[in-house]
Amino acid sequence: MAQAASVTRNTRTKRRIDWTPYLFLLVPLAVYFVWIIAPTFYTFYLSMTNWDGIDPYPKFIFLDNFQYLFTKDRTFSEALINNLRWVVVFITIPTSAGLGLAMVFNNEMRGGRWYKISFYSPLVISLTVIGLIWGWVYHPRAGLINGFLSIIGVEDPPGWLGDRGLAIWCVIIAAAWRQVGYVMVLYLAGLKNIDPSFVDAARVDGANRWQLFRRVILPLLAPVTTIVVVISIIDSLRAFDLVSIMTRGAQSTQVLANFMYIEAFNNYRMGYGAAIAVVLFAISMVFIIFYLSRVIKDELEY
Amino acid sequence: MSTAVQPLEKPTTSRPAGSSSIWRSTVMHIFLIAWALLWLLPIIAAVVTSFRTMDDISTHGFWTLPQEITLENFDQAWNQARVSVYLGNSFKITIPSLIGTLFLSSLGAYALARYKFRLNLPIYFMFIAGTMLPFQILLLPVFRLTNSLRLYDTQLALILIHTAFQMGFCTFVLRNFMRTVPSEIFDAARVDGAGEFLMYWRIMLPLSLPAMAALATLEFTWIFNDYLWAIILLQSDSLKPVTAGLATLKGQFNTNWPVITSGALISTLPTVLVFIFLQRYFIQGLTLGSEK
Amino acid sequence: MLSHKKTYLVLAILLLVCAVPLLAQDTSVSYNSYSSDPVPRAFDESIVALWNEAHPEMPVNHSILNHEDFKQAIRAYLVAEPSPDVLTWFAGNRARFFIDKGLILDLSDMWAANGFDQSYAPGFNALATVGGSQYFLPTSYYWWAIYYRPSLFERAGITQVPETWEDFLGTCDALNAAGITPITIGARFRWPAAAWFDYLNMRTNGPDFHINLMLLQESYTDERVKATFAHWQELLDHNCFVQDPAALDWQEAVDDMVQERAAMYLMGAFIVDSYPDDMEDDLDFFRFPIIDPAIPVGEDAPTDGFFISANARNPQGAQEFLAFLGSQEVQQMALNELGRLPTRTDVDISGVAAPTQKGIALIQSADYVAQFYDRDTTPPMAEAGMDGFMRFWDDPASIDTILQDLEAERLRVLEEEGG
Repeated sequence: MAQAASVTRNTRTKRRIDWTPYLFLLVPLAVYFVWIIAPTFYTFYLSMTNWDGIDPYPKFIFLDNFQYLFTKDRTFSEALINNLRWVVVFITIPTSAGLGLAMVFNNEMRGGRWYKISFYSPLVISLTVIGLIWGWVYHPRAGLINGFLSIIGVEDPPGWLGDRGLAIWCVIIAAAWRQVGYVMVLYLAGLKNIDPSFVDAARVDGANRWQLFRRVILPLLAPVTTIVVVISIIDSLRAFDLVSIMTRGAQSTQVLANFMYIEAFNNYRMGYGAAIAVVLFAISMVFIIFYLSRVIKDELEY
Repeated sequence: MSTAVQPLEKPTTSRPAGSSSIWRSTVMHIFLIAWALLWLLPIIAAVVTSFRTMDDISTHGFWTLPQEITLENFDQAWNQARVSVYLGNSFKITIPSLIGTLFLSSLGAYALARYKFRLNLPIYFMFIAGTMLPFQILLLPVFRLTNSLRLYDTQLALILIHTAFQMGFCTFVLRNFMRTVPSEIFDAARVDGAGEFLMYWRIMLPLSLPAMAALATLEFTWIFNDYLWAIILLQSDSLKPVTAGLATLKGQFNTNWPVITSGALISTLPTVLVFIFLQRYFIQGLTLGSEK
Repeated sequence: MLSHKKTYLVLAILLLVCAVPLLAQDTSVSYNSYSSDPVPRAFDESIVALWNEAHPEMPVNHSILNHEDFKQAIRAYLVAEPSPDVLTWFAGNRARFFIDKGLILDLSDMWAANGFDQSYAPGFNALATVGGSQYFLPTSYYWWAIYYRPSLFERAGITQVPETWEDFLGTCDALNAAGITPITIGARFRWPAAAWFDYLNMRTNGPDFHINLMLLQESYTDERVKATFAHWQELLDHNCFVQDPAALDWQEAVDDMVQERAAMYLMGAFIVDSYPDDMEDDLDFFRFPIIDPAIPVGEDAPTDGFFISANARNPQGAQEFLAFLGSQEVQQMALNELGRLPTRTDVDISGVAAPTQKGIALIQSADYVAQFYDRDTTPPMAEAGMDGFMRFWDDPASIDTILQDLEAERLRVLEEEGG
């Protein structure tokens, strides 16, 4: 199919530059440029100013914002560490749980559809609602967990979001809870694409279930795993809604995205906020480039 | 390399079930049901709570049998907390964004899938990179841009940013889908004298409908559930979508968890309905993006 | 081929046309307020209804946002164009912050035209004035005190309210012995903890030092600040506070008193809004105990009011509505219905309830009246400070690091202001 398409292309490009694709792309690119590309670069510029959101002529201060971020700002390092915790949890717990569930539900079974729905339904619920509901689950007095703990006679149950040491983990767990279904769906799709003959061949060779999984299925799922990991990392870095709703970044739960919001809009340090966004962008970029390089490889195989 | 939509319930293995495995399967089902229930506990608990009275909950705690069942909380959330208004706003924002982003993406995807030109791959990569962008990088400039366009505190501002932001993902998915459409179809049409736009409109668009449906379902929940842009670009209470409105609910009904959870549940209803009725598409949408 | 290009172009143009905002010219006034708690909310709505009835030609579009969200959102509102016309806000440095940035409309003419120069108490006029012009309209204030339930004191065998620091610690011990948590506090949004800092600092070091610290002219690593925290530490040592305050909204902590789990709450007079009406007989308050009798007594009495955004869409209408909000009529209603103290001199306070009279007396007997931590100091400092108080709460041992961080923030804010 790709060859067929390129036949038409080749005959066209030889004659003259064909403007048709550009015409199709005109509006989409214009919109994309105005709302996405240009703002991205503008943030880079802002990150090197001391703009307060009001002054029409912000001072250009080059890398001062970044210097302050990395050398003096404790909240920044707190946020960075929290994002890192988020990444670590996200690429371990939901990934393995999602893969495990996918392995279970990949087989036809009675009620399989309903099990699957149970596990991925949190995915359609907005983070606002998840934040509200989990905020209540964790509530030290009226909450679901402590209510249960007090019934079974636990004295002095934890304060969850009220406990500085636990708060960030509570938020991350609520997020991971939502993420599991997503990972499961991706792995289920990956499993469907596995050629059954590989599995059968291994089984003929006398591989037991674990060996089958470890030696055959897991390697075949490697492309999906890459995507899951990239998605998990990107999602962890973007994390904002849950923190904003559950703790607002108090209780040592600050993350970069919320920190950026607070600095920019609460403290009118828009330039500084932009610098935080740029750091966030730079970290994301590492993974975006990693992902793109794989896509490029695929494309060049055409 | 296939990105075609696949039926979800495709049998994969055909292991015969032995009689000894009946016992095992029962144990497994009990285990799975228990796990699924535990998994959904926060949601189930929220549903139960929303039908109970505040007095009941505060005196007896959650882990007791409800004393009475009431719809009062839903009434309060719907009317007093104005969830009805917020919900309408969510639709007013989501539907145009959805149409806008699908239309524009399909145009771009068509160009990227069908034509060979110098900037094809760079543009394609740009769209992919855009899908992964942390949107915080856009926050300040977009805020400033909507201000200078006098779009601040209009739903149009939200529609525009959603349209633009979701375009990356949609273009990426649609482009890959469109590449699987055999070009012979277009050659035949060209012989009949059809122009490029007509081929896009009459042939590619109808053929892409399965992918569009999948994307639409997924994007609906994404745009509907947005919170950040709503709180950045809107200030009038009467314009807010339900995600931003819900945050207000928490302030108004502080500790009245039954009303808060009912509000939260009502606000979730549209996405849940979409999910239940278009589940197949939703899952396809999710996987389409990853099968590259 | 060409015709399809045309079709496409038409579509493109259509899309662009859609993108042009429709600028509707209307005479309405937008009013954003933070009165989200049920009682003040109902009052706020009734005031707007009164206006809308009398002025159908200039209706007020009222948006109420949750109090805590409002504090965050207003910053974006004020730099947006167009921003809401009339906004509720707090006096002091919190208003000054916006005024200094040129975000607030000069209200001098409105003040003069409505005779506010005469009818408002001079102190409040001064509070509204920056560089000779009024930018703010302070319409009410309230007192802070330690609220308590006399019945619980009685149960613990406490016969009189504590007046000195030793009394106070003794009261806590007695309540603990009776199985009642002495003090409740809901510090999810941190500011209730700031009240403790305000009072402890004013009682330990005096109002002069306190306000200089607020104005960033004293250092947070000063020994005197450490002394303040040493008193705070005593309260923690005596197990005076409820558990997990950081997970509770301030209203949830009120429930601790309602349900007899806790006896005291350092809170503003608005606590009664969230207190069940039929139980208000068993709610009283006393002045924050004196630590050093030689030191002048400072009280927190925050002033609330309104201002108009410099980017307002309808500044003329906004000022008319503001004049109404600042009128004698409205202040009288706020006093009678909410117990908010008036800033005008022509409001009749003779008929107010006993608690309100006691509150007025409390403020009048003070040597110095502060606003509140997050109103007296600058917003970035308040942000860092309140974070620090909560950190101290969880980990008192790290007080030195916390104060160093606060000092670093203070120097940074000073530098920002200087540059």
